Amino acid sequence: MLFRLFKLNVGCDKSDFLHLGGEMNFKRLRGDFPMFGKKGVPKECVYLDSAATSQKPLQMIEAISDFYTHGNANIHRSIHDLGEQATTKYEEVRHKVAKFINASDVSEIIFTSGATTGINFIASAWARKHLKKGDEILITEAEHHANFLPWQRLAQELGIVVKAITINKDRFLLGCTNELHESSEDESLYMMSPGIDNEFCSEPDCNYFDSLITPKTKLVAVMHDSNVLGNVWDQDYTFLYTLIERAHQNGAKVLIDAAQVVGHQKFDVQRLGADFVVFSAHKMFGPTGIGVLYINKALHDEVEPYQVGGSMVHSTNSQESRWRKAPQKFEAGTPPIAQVIGFGSAIDYIVENVNYDELKQYQAALCSQLIDGLESIEGLEIIGNVPRIKQGGQMVTFVVDGMHPHDIASCLDMHGIATRAGHHCAQPLAKALGIESSLRVSLHLYNNSRDIEIFLNALHEAIGQIRQKLQII
Amino acid sequence: MTAEFSQEELLDHYRNPRNRGTVEDANFSGQDYNPSCGDRVAITGLIDDALVIKKLSFSGSGCVLSQAAASMLTEVCIGKTSDQILHLSKDDILSLVGIPLGPTRLKCALLALEVLHDGLKKYRI
Repeated sequence: MLFRLFKLNVGCDKSDFLHLGGEMNFKRLRGDFPMFGKKGVPKECVYLDSAATSQKPLQMIEAISDFYTHGNANIHRSIHDLGEQATTKYEEVRHKVAKFINASDVSEIIFTSGATTGINFIASAWARKHLKKGDEILITEAEHHANFLPWQRLAQELGIVVKAITINKDRFLLGCTNELHESSEDESLYMMSPGIDNEFCSEPDCNYFDSLITPKTKLVAVMHDSNVLGNVWDQDYTFLYTLIERAHQNGAKVLIDAAQVVGHQKFDVQRLGADFVVFSAHKMFGPTGIGVLYINKALHDEVEPYQVGGSMVHSTNSQESRWRKAPQKFEAGTPPIAQVIGFGSAIDYIVENVNYDELKQYQAALCSQLIDGLESIEGLEIIGNVPRIKQGGQMVTFVVDGMHPHDIASCLDMHGIATRAGHHCAQPLAKALGIESSLRVSLHLYNNSRDIEIFLNALHEAIGQIRQKLQII
Repeated sequence: MTAEFSQEELLDHYRNPRNRGTVEDANFSGQDYNPSCGDRVAITGLIDDALVIKKLSFSGSGCVLSQAAASMLTEVCIGKTSDQILHLSKDDILSLVGIPLGPTRLKCALLALEVLHDGLKKYRI
């Protein structure tokens, strides 16, 4: 309760927060996050790694703590009141998630341990049974390993062909050239660059999609947004929506990795039209260890349980078992109850405080401030479509000539600045772009102009000193 | 500045690496990649019948720590036996680089040792 009474200020003032004249008071919202309220620390926390995990509002932390302190019990099986109450709270969150993403039925919301589990779930419990040798899966070459490796493994096991839409190396967007070539290292992976100019084609249903989706395509598994580049489709995601539609017209199913968008943008699974969607709570102010796998109810009978055990079985004997219906069919064992409750509180926080248009404008303005500063640094190259990021992005990734991003990130760390350096679990993308590693700055609503200013000053200093120390001319 | 950028010896090894290259008549080798940041180290070496390292070279790319540690390691390992080298541990690498390291950065510093161990173990088989 003490935190609530003394809202700690980290020394930022009004001018650090861009005032958009809307509902969201970004300074007040930042105060909801105890990570930014530490008194007496030598360096304040400049947290620029929200794409890795978001910071947490106090109400979410307290929701978990309250559950363990006052309401802890197992769910679904208890006759006692404590268990009944815990069950009610847990299932309330399922309803909350269904409403949050506009699912048509609460049974479509399956709790998992995160987006990665969700994709592995579908690879194992649906794709392995429904795909056969020679069938095709379409992904992009910018996928996170979580939406790349399950399909590569399936390709190696079953002889499935994985095709990947390529990224244009100049504009950092999907498509845009007219080549079809094989990857030299992995015979099961084919790169596809459809003949369309991403920025300028206003007819998304032209030959572009016919070249991507064939009668053999059984699954399209693509990201909504990249964790390195942001939005790699067209500005309004029309191409993504049309791709989903065309997939269905050709009898293929669609999985969308929404890990980087839920919480940053309005997300409507019915409008999206995908069969499977995954996202993680910890990227949207929720706890780690919990995520959502959305399975369209039309597919509930086609998908097997991923894990079997307690809670998901209707009846069993020594010969056979009968599963319960969704969602219980897909949730074996004691679930992460406290984390689900925390997740519910995180969703409440977003619903109560976030106006998506304002958030997008705010994040884009901070990205613009950042890009303007980065562009003045000699030898620095931004990895991403700059106009797209300035218009509506939430992350900026870059490389500096002659310098390893890990060394820069270490120097930034000395200033209390948290960024991410490496390949960001997207090695195929790094390889496609011809870079070993890069440095990523990713934002959320608790960041401000001062964070960007501190970052830019520290970056200038770090680059100057590294150049001097390593005697890079 | 970070500790590694204050440690002159580390910087010297990064700027002027010892034993960078490839041993032409190598009879053991190893290579690996640090997935957390994209460092690469490859090691080639010549070991004699008494299992003493006569020649040792490294190549690769990556952060200051990974490359400097590789250079320092090759320098101390020439003339040692494979047994002595196989007994080198994380603590020895920490003494060598001379700065405290968290778990992620430790992986960068240990890459060369792991590659060297791997190469020597394969030779003994």
